[in-house]
Amino acid sequence: MNASTATATSPLRPPGSAWPSRAPLLLLLAVALAVPLFVRSATYLHILILLLLYAYLTTSWNLVGGFAGVLPLGHAAFVGIGAYTSTVLSLQYGVSPWVGMIVGGFLSTLVGVLIGLPTFKMRGAYFALATIAFAEGLRVMVENIDRLGPFLLNGPRGLQIPPLELGFGRFMFAEKEPYYYIILAMLVLAVGITWAVSRSKLGYCLAAGGEEPEAAQSLGINVARVKLVAMAISSFLTSLAGTFWAQFTLYIHPKSVMSLDISFEIAFIALIGGRGSIAGPLLGALLLRPVSDFSRIHFGDTLPGLHLVIFGGVLILVMLYQPRGLQEPLTRLYRRALARSAGMRERG
Amino acid sequence: MIYLLEDAINGILMGSIYGLAALGLTLIFGVLKVINFAHGSLLMVGMYAAYWAVLLTGAHPYLALVIVLPLMFAFGYLLQAVVIQPIFKAEREVREPITVIIVTTGVWYILDNLGLLVFGPQYRNIQDNPLRGKMIEAGEMLISVPKLWGFCAALVTAALVWLFLQKTRMGRAVRATSLDRDAASLQGINPYRIYNIAFGLGTAVAGVAGVALVPFYNVFPTVGVLFDIKCFIIVVLGGLGSIGGALLGGMIIGVIESVGPQFMTATWTEAIVYGLFLGFLFLRPSGLFGVKYDW
Repeated sequence: MNASTATATSPLRPPGSAWPSRAPLLLLLAVALAVPLFVRSATYLHILILLLLYAYLTTSWNLVGGFAGVLPLGHAAFVGIGAYTSTVLSLQYGVSPWVGMIVGGFLSTLVGVLIGLPTFKMRGAYFALATIAFAEGLRVMVENIDRLGPFLLNGPRGLQIPPLELGFGRFMFAEKEPYYYIILAMLVLAVGITWAVSRSKLGYCLAAGGEEPEAAQSLGINVARVKLVAMAISSFLTSLAGTFWAQFTLYIHPKSVMSLDISFEIAFIALIGGRGSIAGPLLGALLLRPVSDFSRIHFGDTLPGLHLVIFGGVLILVMLYQPRGLQEPLTRLYRRALARSAGMRERG
Repeated sequence: MIYLLEDAINGILMGSIYGLAALGLTLIFGVLKVINFAHGSLLMVGMYAAYWAVLLTGAHPYLALVIVLPLMFAFGYLLQAVVIQPIFKAEREVREPITVIIVTTGVWYILDNLGLLVFGPQYRNIQDNPLRGKMIEAGEMLISVPKLWGFCAALVTAALVWLFLQKTRMGRAVRATSLDRDAASLQGINPYRIYNIAFGLGTAVAGVAGVALVPFYNVFPTVGVLFDIKCFIIVVLGGLGSIGGALLGGMIIGVIESVGPQFMTATWTEAIVYGLFLGFLFLRPSGLFGVKYDW
């Protein structure tokens, strides 16, 4: 899973070594597919679904936060737009959440582009601030609006989705397994898109614009435009997670789907795992989600907030000693092991 | 009408305290060119320091300043020297390293949640202090005394910071570093020491705001978040790096918050503030008094 980042983030590497570098990712996928056969406990499955959800959110964030070299801190806004769009459409008009999911995705894309349009020209800090302000502003508005035109939002009380009709078409299941496989499929899709983007011309332009905007511009790359494209894809994908969240929990309110904490947790996972790489978000979610679930379950009463202290501390240490995230040393280790085994085969 | 005036005055007073909190942020940005995301948490630390100083000594709330000011300066100085400086050194050629923003976010999460671990989630306030709930009557208007003192503290602090920057040798070194780090170091100024001092000073100003707030405001671990986002908005409104802009930006927010509820649901004012902020960010990112070069 780690070495694939090498082919992804440094496109100059010859593609000959594609198979061994993709092996860990495929292995991980095989394990992920088999997990529900062994994990029967609903609680653990719930935790795993949240892990995959955050891996998905972070992978989506990574398209703009990692490859485009900016720091978006308001992705919860897109989660909220996705959750509210599909929920309102299905509650009031009986539209299948799957359709609402796509509608919400396009709505988020529109919003994402509208935010990106003026802000991508600014310096990094302003972009971060603008995204925070937008997400918080949106949350405050939804908290204040009971009814937006014909749409019932119900303000701070949120919306409850009555589990009347189960089944795939209604995106509603009694067991956790279907949710698990849906979010896994979404994650595979997002990773696939990231992989495709990173090897495309768009990916090269993004990498160039993120690292050296002036140099990229002098080569004729419209840096702001490639960032906008990345933002559009990222906000679309992030929004889909909102619909998933709504259908999974069957209850949404502004604080649950649009809070600043979600935006920050996504960014933290990406930064610690390694922004701008394919494996980084997966690794980050794999490492951090269990920490937060474990500390919430075991120390939630006695030591509240412990996991956030750990997150903050790990984040600072990673930024100081591994600014490209934890995926980098692991990738290096894996590649060294590969080289060693290859060398042994040649000699033998 | 008289209520409107009363609200406006109280809004200006409270807003100047917001401005005081934001002053530290703008000071740090002016020199380091970095938005300190942990600023609200530093304010929270200052408020707890003031709270415990008053509670343990039983002194007048404003006397806590004697303890809080040097404590906060040292805290900020060390925070910059130990945690943030290594990143500046690693990314020497970047003018505005985004990694520093990330690290200050980490500091924010650590401080807020350490506050939660150590002090618990409960709201604390100093029950029997001479300023609590005290009002003066001006005609038919009631004006809060601790807010009035906060207003004075904001003006005095801003003036002192301005004097320090303009009239002292050290202040000149700070301004030189802020203008051009490399040129300043050619003049024999150690920019990292200036960074430490600027960060310490910004933190100390947050401490002053904490002392001004404690007599009438609740102290709790996430109090910083309330002020954090307000401070960001204020400094962008006033212009990043501008002292007068921070005060004026704070007063604008204060007036919107206190007069707004006369015309709409109180929670809507928050949305208006965010809208105003985004409007400024898009249309005039240098703010009211900011330098165009700096955005």
